[in-house]
Amino acid sequence: MTWAELAEKQATVVQMLKNSILKERLAHAYLFEGKQGTKTDLMAFQLAKAFLCQKRGDDAEPCHTCEHCRRIDSGNHPDLHLIQAEGASIKVDQIRHLLKEFSYQGLESTRKVYIVEEADTMTNSAANSLLKFLEEPGGESLAILQTTKRHAILPTIQSRVQVLSFAPLPPESVIETLLEKGYSEVQARIASQIAADVEEAESLCSSDWIAQARSKVIQLVHEISKRPQRALLTVHEHWLPFFSERSSLQLGMDMLMLWYRDLLRVQIGQENQVVYTDCMDDLKNQALSQSQPTIRHKLTAIFDAKRRLDANSSPQLVMDQLLLKLQEG
Amino acid sequence: MKFKVHRDQFVQGVQHVAKSISQRTTIPILTGMKLEASAEGVTLTGSDSDISIEYFIPKEDEEHQYVEVFEEGSIVLQAKYFTEIVKKLPKETVEISVQDQFATTVMSGSAVFNLNGLDPEEYPRLPQVEEDKTFQIPKDLLKNLIRQTVFATSNAETRPILTGVHWQLNDEQLTCSATDSHRLAMRKAKINTNSSGLSFSNVVIPGKSLSELSKVLNDSDELVDVVVSENQILFKADHFLFFSRLLEGNYPATENMIPTEAKTSVILQSKRFLSAIERSMLLSEDNKNNVVNLKTIGNGMLEITSVTPEVGKATEEVTSEEMSGEDLRISFNGKNLIDALKVVDSEEVKIDFTGAMSPFVLKPTDHDHSLHLFSPVRTY
Repeated sequence: MTWAELAEKQATVVQMLKNSILKERLAHAYLFEGKQGTKTDLMAFQLAKAFLCQKRGDDAEPCHTCEHCRRIDSGNHPDLHLIQAEGASIKVDQIRHLLKEFSYQGLESTRKVYIVEEADTMTNSAANSLLKFLEEPGGESLAILQTTKRHAILPTIQSRVQVLSFAPLPPESVIETLLEKGYSEVQARIASQIAADVEEAESLCSSDWIAQARSKVIQLVHEISKRPQRALLTVHEHWLPFFSERSSLQLGMDMLMLWYRDLLRVQIGQENQVVYTDCMDDLKNQALSQSQPTIRHKLTAIFDAKRRLDANSSPQLVMDQLLLKLQEG
Repeated sequence: MKFKVHRDQFVQGVQHVAKSISQRTTIPILTGMKLEASAEGVTLTGSDSDISIEYFIPKEDEEHQYVEVFEEGSIVLQAKYFTEIVKKLPKETVEISVQDQFATTVMSGSAVFNLNGLDPEEYPRLPQVEEDKTFQIPKDLLKNLIRQTVFATSNAETRPILTGVHWQLNDEQLTCSATDSHRLAMRKAKINTNSSGLSFSNVVIPGKSLSELSKVLNDSDELVDVVVSENQILFKADHFLFFSRLLEGNYPATENMIPTEAKTSVILQSKRFLSAIERSMLLSEDNKNNVVNLKTIGNGMLEITSVTPEVGKATEEVTSEEMSGEDLRISFNGKNLIDALKVVDSEEVKIDFTGAMSPFVLKPTDHDHSLHLFSPVRTY
């Protein structure tokens, strides 16, 4: 990865970081915030390299060939510390280890870097023990926190770091790429919405998972509006067995959300932006029978359900509750 | 890389270096041991990032030839397996050779091990030794310095800088001090520097590293070279180098905490005083604060008491060798005093009190290069 490659998608962030490096005005701590696939992790490693590389070019580009750069790539650099979630969260012990490590001077130079991946998964006690350290970093150190959910980061942490927001990828460009590769339009549209980048969208399209998932969603919304008494059975017989993984269930929810968003789009006349283009008739019918506040209510219910899933609730209970809420209107 | 080495020498080196290697490390390469063959001999390196040990096996000395190097080079081998293998090899000599892709063969007699090595380029670089910033210190003195200061370091993570011992060098005098903010131990020593006028301050060495160092040094009066670099300190003895990372931050100024005058001075026999306090502490075994009360009762006598309400009370009278100044009643943490008295090597100690609420100083009577300072405990 070079700055130029990263700048293709994140020009602003790259420009800001490069300028800070050249003017030697890097902040002591950054929070890289961006949706899945915005490559916050690659940016973090690139910044670490630029910070530690001793043969950095005049354009802030690390050399990628010296012993520092090579060892950052292989994960063996002694002054770069990477904290990743152990299981579901980052535990306070991991942060304690980090604090101990940072009470020492660097092994090879006086510079040290640490990268916290998925900083939103820090437990409260972990985040709190990191606070003091974020506030008073010792020596020449650089902290890079990385997250997809900025709102899940404690406000006390946010106020102590410089937040860099990564621009989400425009779905249109993803759709175009997918169409060029010969995938059908319906697939391309939905994949571009739920996947974070072109690679992920393509891998979703290339298996027939997305097509199946799509039909499950359409089946469910159909049942909800036409045969409410059957909907609960559909969830248990088809929906839950198919979306058996927590992560796939989240994608399923995303697709369900897209349906309701489409309803809104139909209502306000933005039909060219609809994702489920092949179900236009259904969409129009349902759009006529529901008011905008009701749909908004339903979207909120889906958001809620997604949050509950993240909080480790039982998928079955979450779905049951969601279904009742969707049928209310 | 290809070399042949005398097994006994090699085992000794490997075992030395293995002490610094930990399997629980976040940097994968540090689970390995680095071997480097050069024209002068073989160097072994191990590290857990806090401390690093480098051991050198020379090609030959006056009597024996230890190493035969056919091809220079280096390799990193998984320490867990490698140390076990080396210990159990059958023959007098070991041959180690590296082929492509870091594949390594360890051969001794008819036993052959093929090990997958790691890229030596990935291994952390240890600081280069700059000979001009060195000073020498005899091993036994160094061990004493460590023993008499490390116990006073703090274990609490809240102020990491206090988990270290502060070294300061000025006018050929080395001052080591350690404190956990309730007590302070200070030890001074005269040393020889290579370059005149060498001085440094705010070098804080982790207490744990010093304890490790003390373990690997044998008792003798041979000299150890000490080199202080920007981020590490290096101890160089016979065939091995011991590196430790330094602590980050500024050590609190301790010099001006030490009171210079005394209101009450007592000279006591250290052994007798130590056992008296130990006895009085018997009742407060579970008591967290270990409070011991001390009171002058005239005629050069001191009364030591300790009360644990649920258990009972211990009282003992101690005769001092000499006493001067006002009467006094003071309470302190007995455990801290015991720790200090245990490392004092002198027959007699002098304690200078400056009132019930101010810190007091304990010094040996026969020399003035060691000093202990304690905060009293407020008991009412």
